[in-house]
Amino acid sequence: MSQFDAIVIGGGVNGLIAGTLLGRRGKNVCIIEKSTRFGGMASYSVDGGPTLAHSLYNLSPRALSDIGIDPQHPVLSGKPVSTVSLSEDGRHIVFKNDGVYWSDGTKHPESSAWSDLTQRLITYGSLLRQLAEAPAPGGQKTVLSRGGLNEFLRLAKLGIGLKKLGKSEMRRFLQVVLSNVHDIILDDLPEGPVAGLLAADAIWGSATGPRSPGTVFNLIYRLGHGGIITQPAGGMSALTDLMVEAAQKAGCVLMPKTEASRILLDNDTVSGVETTDGRTITAPIVLSNLAPKITSQMTGPSVFDIETIRRVRNIRACGTAAKVNLRLKDNSPLPGLPEQLANERLIFAPSVEYVEAAFNPAKYRQMSKAPVIEAFKVQTADGASWLSTIVQYAPSDLEGGWTESAKEKLAQTTVETLSRSLPGLGDHISGKQVITQDQIESATGAPGGHWHHAEMALDQLLTLRPANGMARYSMGPKGLFQCGAATHPGGDVMGLAGRNAALAALEAQP
Amino acid sequence: MTVENRYDVIVAGAGHNGLTAAAYLARAGMRVLVVEKNDWIGGAAVSRSLHEGWTYSNCSYVCSLLRREIARDLELPKYGLQVIPYEGGASFTRDADYFAYYSDHNALKREMARHSAKDADAYRGYSQAIMRQCRFIRPFLLRDAPDPASLHPRDLGELAYLVKKAHGQGSRELGETLKFWTMSIGDFLDEHFENDLIKAHLAGSGIIGTGLGVYSPGTAYVLLHHYMGDIDGGIGAWGFARGGMGAISNAIAASFKDHGGTIHTGAGVEKILSKDGRVEGVALEDGKVFYAPVVASNMDIKRTVLHHIDAAELPDDFTKAVRNFKIRGSSAKLNIALDRFPNFPAAPEHTSFLRGDLHVSQSLFELEKAYDDWKVGRWSEKPYIDMLIPSQIDPTMAPTGAHMMTVFVQYAPYDLEVDGVRSAENWNEKQRTAMAETVLDQMSVACPDIRERVVHMEVRSPLEIEREVGLTEGNIFQGELTFDQLFFNRPVPGWSQYSLPIKGLYLCGSSAHPGGGVMGAPGANAARAILRNETRHGRMKGYAA
Amino acid sequence: MSIFTDPKLGLIPGPFHKKLEEQNRAQNWYDWAGYSAPGVLDSVEFEYFALRNQASLFDISPMHKYRLTGPNTTAMLNRLMTRDVRKIGVGRVGYAIWCDEEGMVIDDGTLFHLGDNDWRLCCQEQMLTWLLDAAWGFDVSVVDETHCVAGLSLQGPTSYAVLEAAGLDVSKLKPFDLSQIHHDLMISRTGFTGDLGYELWCDWDKAEALWDRLWTGGAHQGLRAIGYEAVNLARIEAGFLTAGVDFQPVHATERLHRGQTPFELGLGRLVDFNKGHFNGRRELLSKRETPRSLLMRFDVEGFKPSEGSLIYNRRRKEVGHITSGIWSPTAKRNIALAHVRMPDASRSSGLKAEIYTLQEGKWDTRMARLTPVNKAFFAPPRARATPPART
Repeated sequence: MSQFDAIVIGGGVNGLIAGTLLGRRGKNVCIIEKSTRFGGMASYSVDGGPTLAHSLYNLSPRALSDIGIDPQHPVLSGKPVSTVSLSEDGRHIVFKNDGVYWSDGTKHPESSAWSDLTQRLITYGSLLRQLAEAPAPGGQKTVLSRGGLNEFLRLAKLGIGLKKLGKSEMRRFLQVVLSNVHDIILDDLPEGPVAGLLAADAIWGSATGPRSPGTVFNLIYRLGHGGIITQPAGGMSALTDLMVEAAQKAGCVLMPKTEASRILLDNDTVSGVETTDGRTITAPIVLSNLAPKITSQMTGPSVFDIETIRRVRNIRACGTAAKVNLRLKDNSPLPGLPEQLANERLIFAPSVEYVEAAFNPAKYRQMSKAPVIEAFKVQTADGASWLSTIVQYAPSDLEGGWTESAKEKLAQTTVETLSRSLPGLGDHISGKQVITQDQIESATGAPGGHWHHAEMALDQLLTLRPANGMARYSMGPKGLFQCGAATHPGGDVMGLAGRNAALAALEAQP
Repeated sequence: MTVENRYDVIVAGAGHNGLTAAAYLARAGMRVLVVEKNDWIGGAAVSRSLHEGWTYSNCSYVCSLLRREIARDLELPKYGLQVIPYEGGASFTRDADYFAYYSDHNALKREMARHSAKDADAYRGYSQAIMRQCRFIRPFLLRDAPDPASLHPRDLGELAYLVKKAHGQGSRELGETLKFWTMSIGDFLDEHFENDLIKAHLAGSGIIGTGLGVYSPGTAYVLLHHYMGDIDGGIGAWGFARGGMGAISNAIAASFKDHGGTIHTGAGVEKILSKDGRVEGVALEDGKVFYAPVVASNMDIKRTVLHHIDAAELPDDFTKAVRNFKIRGSSAKLNIALDRFPNFPAAPEHTSFLRGDLHVSQSLFELEKAYDDWKVGRWSEKPYIDMLIPSQIDPTMAPTGAHMMTVFVQYAPYDLEVDGVRSAENWNEKQRTAMAETVLDQMSVACPDIRERVVHMEVRSPLEIEREVGLTEGNIFQGELTFDQLFFNRPVPGWSQYSLPIKGLYLCGSSAHPGGGVMGAPGANAARAILRNETRHGRMKGYAA
Repeated sequence: MSIFTDPKLGLIPGPFHKKLEEQNRAQNWYDWAGYSAPGVLDSVEFEYFALRNQASLFDISPMHKYRLTGPNTTAMLNRLMTRDVRKIGVGRVGYAIWCDEEGMVIDDGTLFHLGDNDWRLCCQEQMLTWLLDAAWGFDVSVVDETHCVAGLSLQGPTSYAVLEAAGLDVSKLKPFDLSQIHHDLMISRTGFTGDLGYELWCDWDKAEALWDRLWTGGAHQGLRAIGYEAVNLARIEAGFLTAGVDFQPVHATERLHRGQTPFELGLGRLVDFNKGHFNGRRELLSKRETPRSLLMRFDVEGFKPSEGSLIYNRRRKEVGHITSGIWSPTAKRNIALAHVRMPDASRSSGLKAEIYTLQEGKWDTRMARLTPVNKAFFAPPRARATPPART
């Protein structure tokens, strides 16, 4: 008799959601996490500094309600933030839900073109969300099985959704999803900061530039839940705390400081997990929130087919987004930024070509000389003010590795780049934290420090995510499932991968 | 209107696709006129004598994609076409070595093993994967792309055919197909091989003619586009047309004329005439007017729609979609008359691989960097070059003992950047010469004496290709071969079946499905659509039907 | 431009080439993995009867050979092969097949268990990439020995006597035993003929010396050098399969459904579902009971070899084809290996082969009745006797 019905390895957002969902469906679940803290990449921080993730834009209400969290919960009902595209001449551009404005409040001339384009992408996004909220199509042996029939109905629904768009929009959709963001943006908008922002929003976390085909998909994915950006009240850790609470409420046993060393098998069926401190926890189902390669190392390669292992090895996961946290001397306003914009999302991406040029060095294992930056001014629990920035591109496979001097160079570049719009920023800084991919990888297990555990490229999406033949969350032996960001539909603090995986596990072993 | 200036069909442009469409229509008994702006025919499949004694295939330069069905239907051999396959090729290194690509598979395996034993073994898996994709795609080349938004029985039928073919692969292989079609040639090669030089050699076909880099998703398909042809059933084989690429156009034209067709050269279309949404004919630059209820344009979609039709005649969203069609110049061409065979010091004596396509790119990074240069409006500092000396095989190309060399250059931008300004107007003699020097430097890696061998050299930037051939921005495929512009998206969504929003107006060039290359498929497919839509009996005869 | 031919093209000589050339009358070379290999050296009949009646030497150096060593080798091989390789003891040789993830046979070959976690795999198809993939995650080194280990197949009723005369003692070797005679010569009691025979393995550069030693020793035992055509007759009599002829190695297949499962090839005995996971196991479990076709042995009516013929059932419906078919000079039967689709393969009565014949410029066809045969067409007891007979 097993101790649990299911074990979830890795207490990140997807692991928590998967475990909680199973718990709420009557399963006796244990969630193990190697660090002391649950929440994974979302709430990872160093020395009490700002967390790795610093905003929400893609959290799935479906996943939340499935684990018993009200999507309107006070923690989640933070005020939507606007985005500010920083300009070198001080004429910053503010993107609100209803349009684009200059920082002085007057309407930007490209406002309506921007609104039209984003609205269209949001419409497409809601279509793709239907795909995201279920396992990727394909892989069912026969249409006549129950799963096959459900899938057929789901695809039919998507087809109807497409049809509802109207003939010409449907055709346009089938063209646009396969396109590159450079072309789609510049078809409708002149080159410049408005276009630059859209280009930047298409490449966060990815090893790709605006000209790469498939980047429109990334942008649509980001806009899948409407494109509204919020900051949870109390920060990202408040959100993950909420999830931990939901897990406990669902009866899950949470085991921090418990690192899996091996997934145990018996006769091609999962039997449990062995931990680094020598304990054995037994269960007929294991959901791994780890990347596929690490999961396969925990079982040993012999339980998988050779082709499976080859595909797992070939999954591309080169993280490109580093975290640079700049500690501010005090809470005084940032130079060059009007007071009322102080708490908005700041972006440095003056043009599409700028973003593309920032990507160029990353292809050759170099960091951008002029990076694309997203920054939030945040306060940590100790009351300190920080400028929390995501800096791209800083590839995980940097030539020579992420040495202290490489990190120092990245921090310097970040400050210099931001200073182009926030002159004198350097004088406000009292300390720096540079968190690069290697650190993220060793802390969270994410390969290459990649947000999505596997690059979100067309050849690694949907039926091909994380790899061909693995889109239904199960992997190799009976009872083994993947529930991490590498699976369909992918990462961000979204939660659907975990939710879908739990549902797949329930379907396979009710 | 007199009988002399009335036809059943007028084809605008005597490129190989226009001629193909015309020849099929003439064989179906229609009265067909082809009009051509140049004094010669052939479009980008031409042989031109620009220096006494030498013949240049001065645009397209090798042949493989021309569909066998078309050569057979139009009886091209009878009209003088002879295609000779060439063997192998090589990439030279900067340290006097080379990687030779032999068509003899034992020799190829030994040569690969010289660079990497692992790669020599991996090559079979790689070529099997490519061949499986070729096998999958080839049946679609001479079929219409279904409109996924349409419920027309024919569209549903084509869609069903697609689903059947895809399903027939089995789910695992279908996954591999989806992956192949969406990945970059760089990633695909990295999954199979370890050696930089071998990867660089194989990657070239993934970027020829396109505004993408080796690591841009979708370039694996571009490679496929170059592999899916055949010569006498040898899939992926390439060859020379005896007498240069113009021999293809000339044979098609001869077949056309033999069946009653007329070709009018020296005056291009000024305007495609239409009234009440129905095409009426064409007005030429020389003032002549010809009438026909059907006009097929061999010009690219942008040139056809934006330059030769009244915008008022077309729906706005269509015109907008055409304006947004991506047709980027990314290639240049050097055609060189050589006094004798250049010296390739690295090549072994009596080797056969010099008869093939020769390159000097060292790695995928070098190729990707070549693309980065192009993105900002400069020709590549170290361009990918595809050079061939057809006169080794075809004695008609150069005087005895002398040789003709064709050098394809990737990347060269259309809107060249000079002093911060990007414009096609920047292409002048000085810039062309400077680019040629870059290319000659690059060629010197393989043949250091190349500069001494040159008797005459024609340098063609994308601007010259646009001006002479008429290809917008000098794009050799009449439009980028990216997913958003292929199959049912080509040229623009909703108009992938050759007809355009004006009744009687058709597109028969490479802007239409299945795209560029000296393939003839768009021309044959357009002829089929015309016969189906515009005549009562409707069906085209032949293997391409 | 040159009228010369490229020196790098064409076939290259193997380690025994000089010796083979000395024996060559027929000038009938063929391409075996890039090496020039003899199809016939003298005449097929002469060579075949040397094999069945005396002793024969056949160069098998072009076979692919891979050395697998390292602490995890046995575990790695057990995941790769369908049979339980742990049951192949040190000093033993095992016939094995391996499959892709869909359970389709990639190739067959022989596994030489040379020492603890020290194996050699010998097979027809190139396999380096696959073995490296298979070894990923295991502590195993894979070395391609194809071009450094020479192989010589000595087969026939006097082969033991030849070795004895050459001063090589293999009296204790039972079928599928191997013996390391000295550090650069290994002898295994294996072969592809169904007869008494041995395979000798040595360093590439010692090949000619080995040949000379056997040639001198075999002077009074009727030893002959032979080409592939004679070997092919013998292997069909023994009922052995050839990759690319009797089954399609799935890695050399463009149309993937042309692959075959072990059960479809009649090799189900080599699949062990109880040993833990191996490549293709999950698919094979579901495909075990539903073969699409079966590889069958037939006695063919009449005397015309039936290779390449299509097979029809009672209702004149085409249900398969003959992959290998010869007149067997030893069994005195017209024999064939064939693929027959289900369900006709299980019924297997009323099947006929449509054999094309060419006689004095006239093509004709005849329908030949096929009678299924369960065992090998020729399996002499001398092949298994230990110690072996000398004649």
